[in-house]
Amino acid sequence: MINGFFYNIRQGLKNIWRNRMFSIASISTMAACIFIFGVFFSLLMNVNSMVRTLEEEVGITVLFDEGISEERIQKIGETIKDNEHVIDIKYTSAEEAWEKFKKEYFADHPEYADSFSEDNPLANSASFTVHVDQVENQATVVTYIERIKGVRQVNHSDQAVKTLMNFNSLLTVISMVIVIILLVIAIFLISNTVSVGINVRRQEIKIMKLIGATDSFVREPFVVEGAVIGLVGALIPLLILFFAYDKLIGMLLNHFGVLNNLASSLPTVYQIFAVLLPIGLVLGLGIGLIGSALTIRRHLKV
Amino acid sequence: MIDLDRVSKSYERGQPAVRDVSLHVNKGEFVFVVGASGSGKSTLIKLLLRELEPTKGIVTVNGYVLNTMKRKTVPYYRRGIGVVFQDFQLLPDRTVYENVAFAQHVVGTSGRLIKKNVPEALRLVGLAGKYRSLPRQLSGGEQQRVVIARAIVNRPSILLADEPTGNLDPKNSYEIMKLFEEINNRGTTVLVVTHNRELVNQFQKRVITMRSGVIVHDEEEGGYTDD
Repeated sequence: MINGFFYNIRQGLKNIWRNRMFSIASISTMAACIFIFGVFFSLLMNVNSMVRTLEEEVGITVLFDEGISEERIQKIGETIKDNEHVIDIKYTSAEEAWEKFKKEYFADHPEYADSFSEDNPLANSASFTVHVDQVENQATVVTYIERIKGVRQVNHSDQAVKTLMNFNSLLTVISMVIVIILLVIAIFLISNTVSVGINVRRQEIKIMKLIGATDSFVREPFVVEGAVIGLVGALIPLLILFFAYDKLIGMLLNHFGVLNNLASSLPTVYQIFAVLLPIGLVLGLGIGLIGSALTIRRHLKV
Repeated sequence: MIDLDRVSKSYERGQPAVRDVSLHVNKGEFVFVVGASGSGKSTLIKLLLRELEPTKGIVTVNGYVLNTMKRKTVPYYRRGIGVVFQDFQLLPDRTVYENVAFAQHVVGTSGRLIKKNVPEALRLVGLAGKYRSLPRQLSGGEQQRVVIARAIVNRPSILLADEPTGNLDPKNSYEIMKLFEEINNRGTTVLVVTHNRELVNQFQKRVITMRSGVIVHDEEEGGYTDD
């Protein structure tokens, strides 16, 4: 039987070659599908990693009533620490806040800052920066802190995180829709290619059956045909994506105006492909097999 | 070897194509089945190939009871039978050698054995020198020889031929029939369906005559009868 198997692999490859126009069309669609899937997948991985980074970086800022005592501030700090979701709390005095502000915004023009001289414009800006364990718990913690006496204002900038997460969901939905549409087209085209192969080989199949070919032997070349089209169709875009990854992602992130300070923690092409490669190949193989199986079932009554 | 016990085959409409046919063919026999078109000859062949199942009666071939045979068994059963058809049914895009080797690939023969068996079969049918030709480069008689080589390369115990000389001139027809005789002499049971009167009379073998789905004559060393 192993002899027959190799014979059928050759026959399957010959089928692809014999109706190469159809094969090329199928492979191209498959490739487009996997390529788009790969691009969206990479984007999602990147955005996900940004969300994670932001979750870590973005804290809650707690400001106090005017003229509050140091002692009171310390007490508030302890109360905040009591909350189970709080993992870290850092005190910034008004002076430190001003220094930081000056560094960030007036670095190139120290003379602007000097005009304020000793009059700290951020006099009431002593604050706690609170980090929570998970971004979902932020709201709870904010409510908790707002109830503490002496707290004037709680700023939490999960807006950026929320935007990114929304963007992520949007990306997921768009990519799913595109990929599903393309997958259906790919299945249809592969099925078409295989059915052309079956029609061309009608006489051969009839003779095979009379000679005593088993059903599976008759089907094998067409299964091989679908599988190879699927695999090649997946491998080509994956290779392109692998080599074009850095440029492509850089371009896309740039286009969507992603902050540069998040780019440093983005996943590498190897991290992406550790997941994308097996998924892409299995997807290609699966689509190829489904496409040929559908046709064999319909057109190859053995 | 071949045993039909009161076999009938009706199609959905009209008269049954084969009616209450009982027939026994021994191992190593050479049998002509003759009759006008529509007499049920082709249905008989299809029943033997298990392309059709009988409506009534039992067909037993090579120890297989075809009525109760499972789908999965059919290919293995067919490997014991070689078939030759009127229209040549060679694969036009493959050489003579590949056409014959094809039958071996289908049944999973190893490459080493194929290299040995195919030239042997081609030598037997007298086409050893033309193994690289394509079917369209051959005469009708030669094409039919390739079909015969393909039919015997898997060494079946029965050879079924459905109008094997239908497209051939008398000289070629005679030679093809001689070839069948030689194959028969090597121990293969041969059943030839034909309406070629002269040929049947020339060879003096057992002749089964069918008319309207019924066997009307069954004679050893018989001739073609019209009555």
